Amino acid sequence: MNFKEIFSTIFRVAKREMKIMYYKPLYFYSTIIVFFVSCIFFLSLLHEGATEDMPIAVVDLDQTSISRRLVHELNSTQGVQCDFRCATFEEARIAMQQGEVYAILVIPKHFYSEMLDFKRPTLTFYTNMAYTLAGTTAYKQLLSFANMVSGAFQREVLRKKGLPDQLIMQRIQPITVDGHMLANPTSNYAVYLCSILLPGILGLIVLIITIYTLGMELKWKTSRELMAEAKGNIILALGGKFLPHTILYCMMGISLNLLLFRILQFPMMGDLWTVNVAVVCLVLAMQAMGIVIVGLLPVLRDAISIGALYGMMGFSCSGFTFPVTGMLPAFRGLVNIFPLRHYFRIYSNEALMGNPFVDSLPIFIYLVIFMILPLGVMIRLRNAFINQNYPLK
Amino acid sequence: MTRDELKQKVKHESSMRRVESNIILKIHDTWNVCCEEFRRIFHDPGVIVLFFVAVIAYPLLYNVLYYKNALTEVPVAVVDMDHSTESRKFIHDYHATSEVEVTHMCMSMAEAEDLLKHGVVRGILYIPSDFNNNLASGLKTATLSLFCDMSSFLYMKNVYLGANKVMLQDMYDIQIQRYEAMNMDKELSWAIVQASPYEENVMFVESGGYGHFLIPCVLVLILHQTLIFGISMLTGTAAQENREVFILPGRRRRYSTFRILIGRGLAYFIIYMAMASYTVILVPRLFGLPQVGQVGDILKWMVPFLISTIYFGILLSSFMKERETGMVMLMPSSLIFLFMSGVSWPVLSMPEAWQWVGSFVPYTWGVHSFLHLNSMGATLDTTSYEYIMMWVLSIAYFTASCIVYLLRARRYEKRRLHEQYGEDLTTMERRELDELIHSQEEAEIREMEASLLQAFQSAKKHITRAPDDDAQEDIDTRFDD
Repeated sequence: MNFKEIFSTIFRVAKREMKIMYYKPLYFYSTIIVFFVSCIFFLSLLHEGATEDMPIAVVDLDQTSISRRLVHELNSTQGVQCDFRCATFEEARIAMQQGEVYAILVIPKHFYSEMLDFKRPTLTFYTNMAYTLAGTTAYKQLLSFANMVSGAFQREVLRKKGLPDQLIMQRIQPITVDGHMLANPTSNYAVYLCSILLPGILGLIVLIITIYTLGMELKWKTSRELMAEAKGNIILALGGKFLPHTILYCMMGISLNLLLFRILQFPMMGDLWTVNVAVVCLVLAMQAMGIVIVGLLPVLRDAISIGALYGMMGFSCSGFTFPVTGMLPAFRGLVNIFPLRHYFRIYSNEALMGNPFVDSLPIFIYLVIFMILPLGVMIRLRNAFINQNYPLK
Repeated sequence: MTRDELKQKVKHESSMRRVESNIILKIHDTWNVCCEEFRRIFHDPGVIVLFFVAVIAYPLLYNVLYYKNALTEVPVAVVDMDHSTESRKFIHDYHATSEVEVTHMCMSMAEAEDLLKHGVVRGILYIPSDFNNNLASGLKTATLSLFCDMSSFLYMKNVYLGANKVMLQDMYDIQIQRYEAMNMDKELSWAIVQASPYEENVMFVESGGYGHFLIPCVLVLILHQTLIFGISMLTGTAAQENREVFILPGRRRRYSTFRILIGRGLAYFIIYMAMASYTVILVPRLFGLPQVGQVGDILKWMVPFLISTIYFGILLSSFMKERETGMVMLMPSSLIFLFMSGVSWPVLSMPEAWQWVGSFVPYTWGVHSFLHLNSMGATLDTTSYEYIMMWVLSIAYFTASCIVYLLRARRYEKRRLHEQYGEDLTTMERRELDELIHSQEEAEIREMEASLLQAFQSAKKHITRAPDDDAQEDIDTRFDD
């Protein structure tokens, strides 16, 4: 077969596939619409970028003007909102168990008078870590509040002694920590989550649709027709079949990246086009995994369930929420079977670290390995396509 | 037809006739629907993968994945430009925290940056050369710099938290030393330095670990999603094979909606009570997840959660015409439901529209209620709002499914009448004709049953009289008549 013939064959199969896609609205809904909705959802959900005004309960047993002023002071901070003023701890605990508040601050009885007597009254706070993010936000705010209270008292004492203000500051705070969060200086959650979650969702869609389209050929027994179109060559058949899909998903992936890094101005320290190449590789790797799953299990009903389990696992295993180094050693190798893991590494290499392309190259090789995998199931898949000897449903 | 088959058939028909009460008949129908659904579930490998393999394997997988629960000993590099006792003490204390581990001592910032950029370390602590001088002189605040990898927020949390802990401790030490140098006693110095000490209590999930937070949410999500996918797979298959799922098989009656919905729901409910007991009661025990709730309360929690999820699934699936539609369309919904429920990103930071949409998803109420009961030791009374909302959703989705099924059954019936009796009659006429024909048919069936029974009885006599090979033939001929 010469080049011209190969091209015309692929083109013919692709044309057939486009006809299928056109007459089946499911393709349109489950790719473009579902992906669009997911993008809108995550970007609008996280548009604030940081958790603010977490409701907390305050149990003020002191009830003096000072304690009230402290609560007011705390209320005006960014992290928390003192929505619940409770008379007893019991009341506050129930509010916390109902999920109304994420933390409780208890100001003890005679707080102010004991403080004036140098008796060191204790502020107590309780945080709810069943909601990690909200609990941590409230915890951080309460911690800095407690330190602020002590600092304010010390400042007053030193003022009375007649120290100049500049020295007082140094006295109260001899050391400070100055933080630099690389590439994401405001620790924006939208940047952190959307940059990986959305390509991940694209990958998931690609995987499921790949399994679905291949499985449908077997299910409706149209696979012989496909093989006839491709002149019996399984590689040309798959190449032509997935050509329109690949173009569509790559366009979706690249426009997602353009949206995130160009329009929404997410941080990008490195080269955007490397990340775009990575998204293309992610799409191809996911398609390859879909072919492998159908190749091993040429029954649509089982393959799609297995594909779903595999696809969902990828999110947890990619290591952007819980780092891979925190997993059991036996699992650290296993995460490599998920293309999203490699995409995440390329993304963090490029966008967050701004490393040169050479550093991302070995990771690209991993993604290329995924693309070679389907060759192993080609013969099995061809036999399944021609013999159609698997249960259908 | 063999002797046994015939016997069974007659027995069955007569038992059916004996049941005269309508209610018992309906319960019988419901049970038949339920058994039929069981049969379908166990004959479908795709559904078995979802209902059993996924529900058993996923919780184990997640628990193994997050076995270490919290992230500890994050590697950091230190650039010490000061080389003083103070700076060395700081580094030593920083290294001693459980959050981080100082793995590299670098001579220059460039060297440390290189390590950070290649993921060898996840943070850098930079101590400037004037650190000790500033501390000693007491004129200027000494500043430390932290740089951290933002690829995972847990790295940042550890790098910061560790440094903060050490900084506060160091700060107090320095201040106390100074006051003591001014001839104050230790107690008074402490009273000035830290006028109000604080006590921090982590409630409910004491470890504060990521795994202990995420796994309970994922456990509930697994139940929710496998149910929805499984139901849409079963309904889709039925629709695809042109089996009418909206009316009882072999019956002409349109109003069998209740029986079908309750029967199907019952099958899923029985299976999922068992699966949920494993997922949310046994698994947390096996892996030592936080579980302070009463088992009785959690069992009571399961009932409305499963019912609302089942009818949510049935409602969604009634629009699916193909087996795979549900899976293909709803795959990313797992992530969306997880975030929309507000367990990770807090509800109050969400746009209102999403809070609103989220309140229609059983998972939202289910997961909050489960966290309250399981992780936070609440009773059903305390979490009554979420609990009632689950019942409200159960009733709402059941009613909605009834309406959809009723409409579908009516449409189906109309189409059947149309096809059977042609164009030239009105709908009413068609229906009347149908009733008439049906009553005739019923009478015929009854007649046939009677003759069948008669045949059977006489055959029985025949058999008892002459137990030979002819008996079988005899029965067959009589039956044919």
